[in-house]
Amino acid sequence: MNFQLTLAWRYLTGRVLRTTLTTFAVIFGVLVIFGMNIVLPTMMEGFKANMMAAGGVVDVTVTHVSGGGFPAEVARKLDGIPGLSAYAVSLERTVNLPPDFVDGDPARPDRVSAVNLVGLDPEAARSLQVYLIDEPGRFLQANDTNAAVISESLADAWGVGLGDTISLPSVSGLTDLTIVGILPPRTLPGNEEVLVPLAQSQAMTGQEGQINTIRIALTSVDESARAEATAAIQSALGSGYQVGALDPGSEMFASLKLGQAAFNMFGVLALFMGGFIIFNTFRTVVAERRRDIGMLRALGATRRTITGAILTEGLVQGVFGSLIGIVLGYLFGAFVVRLSAEPMKSFLNINMGSPVVSPALVVTSLLMGVGVTLLSTLLPARSASRVTPMDALRPSLAEVEYKRRAGASFISGVVMIGIALLGLVSGNMGLIALGGLLFLGGLILAAPMLLRPIAWAFGRLLAWFYARQGIADLAQGNLTRQPGRVTVTASATLIGLAIIVALGGMTTSLTGMMDDILHKTLGSDYLFIPPSVAVWNSDLGASPDFAARLGEVEGVEAVASLRFAAGAINGQAVSVLGLDPQTFPQVAGLDFTEGDEAEAYAALASGRNMIVNGAFLATLGVKVGDTVEVTTPEGPRSYTIVAEAVDLLNAKVVTAYISQANLAADFGRTDDVFIMLNLKPGVALEDVEAQIKAIAADYPQFTVMAGKKYIDDMMQYMNAVWAVMFLLLIFLAIPSLIAMMNTLAINVIERTREIGMVRAVGATRKQVRRLVVAEALLLAAVGTAFGILAGLYLGYVIVAGIGVMFPMTYEFPLAGVLAAIAVGLLFGALAAVIPARQAARLQVVEALRYE
Amino acid sequence: MSLIQTENLTKIYGAGEAAVTALDHVNIAVNEGEFVAVMGPSGCGKSTLLHLIGGLDRPNEGNVRIEGVALAEMDDDALTKLRRQKIGFVFQFFNLIPVLTAVENAALPVTLDGVKPSEAKKRAAEWLTRFGLGDRLAARPDQLSGGQQQRVAVARALVSEPALILADEPTGNLDTRSGDEIASLLRDVTKKYGRTVVMVTHDPRIAAYADRIIFLKDGKVVDETNLERKGAADQIASKMKEIGD
Ligand SMILES: Nc1ncnc2c1ncn2[C@@H]1O[C@H](COP(=O)(O)OP(=O)(O)OP(=O)(O)O)[C@@H](O)[C@H]1O
Ligand SMILES: [Mg+2]
Repeated sequence: MNFQLTLAWRYLTGRVLRTTLTTFAVIFGVLVIFGMNIVLPTMMEGFKANMMAAGGVVDVTVTHVSGGGFPAEVARKLDGIPGLSAYAVSLERTVNLPPDFVDGDPARPDRVSAVNLVGLDPEAARSLQVYLIDEPGRFLQANDTNAAVISESLADAWGVGLGDTISLPSVSGLTDLTIVGILPPRTLPGNEEVLVPLAQSQAMTGQEGQINTIRIALTSVDESARAEATAAIQSALGSGYQVGALDPGSEMFASLKLGQAAFNMFGVLALFMGGFIIFNTFRTVVAERRRDIGMLRALGATRRTITGAILTEGLVQGVFGSLIGIVLGYLFGAFVVRLSAEPMKSFLNINMGSPVVSPALVVTSLLMGVGVTLLSTLLPARSASRVTPMDALRPSLAEVEYKRRAGASFISGVVMIGIALLGLVSGNMGLIALGGLLFLGGLILAAPMLLRPIAWAFGRLLAWFYARQGIADLAQGNLTRQPGRVTVTASATLIGLAIIVALGGMTTSLTGMMDDILHKTLGSDYLFIPPSVAVWNSDLGASPDFAARLGEVEGVEAVASLRFAAGAINGQAVSVLGLDPQTFPQVAGLDFTEGDEAEAYAALASGRNMIVNGAFLATLGVKVGDTVEVTTPEGPRSYTIVAEAVDLLNAKVVTAYISQANLAADFGRTDDVFIMLNLKPGVALEDVEAQIKAIAADYPQFTVMAGKKYIDDMMQYMNAVWAVMFLLLIFLAIPSLIAMMNTLAINVIERTREIGMVRAVGATRKQVRRLVVAEALLLAAVGTAFGILAGLYLGYVIVAGIGVMFPMTYEFPLAGVLAAIAVGLLFGALAAVIPARQAARLQVVEALRYE
Repeated sequence: MSLIQTENLTKIYGAGEAAVTALDHVNIAVNEGEFVAVMGPSGCGKSTLLHLIGGLDRPNEGNVRIEGVALAEMDDDALTKLRRQKIGFVFQFFNLIPVLTAVENAALPVTLDGVKPSEAKKRAAEWLTRFGLGDRLAARPDQLSGGQQQRVAVARALVSEPALILADEPTGNLDTRSGDEIASLLRDVTKKYGRTVVMVTHDPRIAAYADRIIFLKDGKVVDETNLERKGAADQIASKMKEIGD
């Protein structure tokens, strides 16, 4: 081991540039995985803290499976169940506060940006939890109106004391609450609570008669007795209720999880690239060192020693790369956490803590980094162990074996590509994603065979081109005699460029689609936007009054709104949006992909029918025309799917659109969470702005924005996202381009001796330089051509994959293709020029000495 | 008993039309403590013979016995171990590992055998010093002259104190004086330490240091001469002329 380590270290430090470049590949992959797995859990942690900060002696929590409200009477079913010591119902809602609502000072960041409005039955609540009210205040009483109890810390933040009032947004405008009692400062993370009587919160959220949580304390501490009681509760309430943990943010959680999965995928892809680079490097390394290895074998090194030496080299790189990757990943993660703390707070009300690093993550990252490196080194190490002592004494061409293996890998490559294509046809998101990876892998495997004839043809071309220069044989020979080398170089290029083109295709298509949908679905003149767009559950709406008052403003033609209720189908949470089939199409619109628009709206008005989005169909595995059973607070209701359509805000959430009449009847919800308004023709924004803003002042939970401006803002935001995407893309492309340069350069270095010979027998420097550059360019061209083809396919796959949720058409990424061509040739030339100059400058004697 | 015994040793490279018979039923025996030189025209199979004796390559036909044990019956690991412990090689071309220093290169056979690196280097340094390379221990092969590299290779062959030393043109790149030094050193090794040396050479003067010379031509043993010391070189030169070199 000691000896192997010495040897590995010497070889690694002997080629510093190459070692750095290949190690960088590992560093990068680990960096992405580690960094991203710091950022997202930190966000989730903050999110969890917000959502789960409920304290007390609660043993069991009951919620509706939809996450929404349900009739207060349901709690009665718990009476008489044995094993319950007490229960308390509540209606809890996050109330997001607009910026500067509390302190009114734009210069200072707000200390409170959201509160939890908790409506409870004072008697029952005290049976579960002790509320230590500071003298001389008091706790709530059931018949209190506009009274609230808050913590000392919230009172401080708000600058109020006992007997003062605070103003909170509600569905019926701003509501003033008098503080009747103050609790000790809050120590738990998460939102501050504003405690009010149940009736108060029902009025403020527009959920008359509804509650959304029952907290239960059990008598026994015995596990089986508790399980029995829990089971009794579940059977008393039925399957529409979830007995157990409170999980109101599941939708948001799912999004974050999805994000994490996507980034992990990206990280794995980066590592995969890194692995490929290492594999390539070590293949070259083994070829380069045939003589050394043979010599070691002749002197008595066993096969195991040789395998070990190469693996040790990989191990050293893997360990160093992973460690550096982890450190950089941490810095990157911490940087992103800091950077996003502010927007997370203002947009989503998530307080981000310090970066979360679990020991498991460190271990996993290390294992993955080292594992991938070792895995990539394994094959080259094995082939190194097959080098015989005779290889040192009579270096031979190792191409025969290569041919045989190219055949086998070609077949498996074609099979993998075939499976990838089948995955595409299946339309299943997971299979398509898997197919993308398979396709890349297949391409790498099949490439040698595909590239051989091309290399041969290019060789002929070169021979013809250089015929007059007198070094024709050499030029052709290099390309045709060494297809292995050609393949390695070209496939490195191929992969790098395929990724550029694929992501280019995706970005082009996505931007086009976004622009389209934005204008179609949010094209109205004014928008009234709640704080958490699309996470409707946490938004406080407005009573229909608000929309009605807006409609009365002179110059307003029509007002349309979306209402929200949480529903569930087969246990899957569904966001149910209510719209008015008459007014909605006039002001806004949905982007229909299946079903007739006019008929669909008419159907909504005429019965229990719904329009659903792509995510709905994909997640629930149903199709247009099916009838589904929706869990509502009133029990199960059957709805028929009449069309598939999407609006931008809800595109990635499982969403169904029903009429507002049905939403009121089945879900008991009448508050608007999103309002759109159109002006009469000829009326300018300025004419009505003052009046609209005045009305909106009563409903500070909404941000008023001109539709055009909102679209502009959104587009700007999207562009920022694309910029980040492109940055990541470059990140991903860089290592593969480096790999390409690396292989091209090695290609030249390997032949230093040969070039020296050519010079010795009379080739001029110019001839040598030209030869090397032309060869490298041709190699790059082959790789580029294949890379673009592969990239187009991959991009199509990605678009199709996303299309399951966002319907979109594939747009040809002209920019991406042009960039790929430019980059491919540029790097090809760069990779050639440096070693070519070196080769040309080389003293003939030195070249002959070169080992 | 002979240390080396070959039985109808035959090596054919390639197949069909292009087949080259490098060795053709060669039967030789080398005794313990003997210094044998192998001579013959270029391409007659000298290196091939040495490789087969050293277990670096396998014959098409026939067998090699070292201390009575047939190499054909040994697996790769056993052969490797044999090379490591019993045989020291000096090859026709330099074949030092370029990333290792002179002393590390010379220490390789013992390092590979599991001797502690510091101890291995100490032993190697002793040999190198004996060969006048005491001040070049830390030099890389590309910082050494051809002759110096060759001396490192000879030191490497001797460091594990093997019973058998196989040397292919060990003096090919050396000036007359260094060549003589190496040759007399190999002779010392046989006489003082009782080791066996088989050496390939073109140079009659160098061959004259041997006890016995085997002449090869076209893969066959054409003559064997036991040398009486006086005028050996001339005797060999005329012999070489006779077989057409
Ligand atoms: N790998 C091989 N493939 C085909 N023929 C080979 C191979 N190795 C050696 N030969 C041939 O076998 C014959 C013997 O080669 P060998 O190297 O043993 O000669 P040699 O006596 O050592 O010559 P020299 O004195 O020039 O070193 C030569 O004709 C050579 O061309
Ligand atoms: Mg020879």
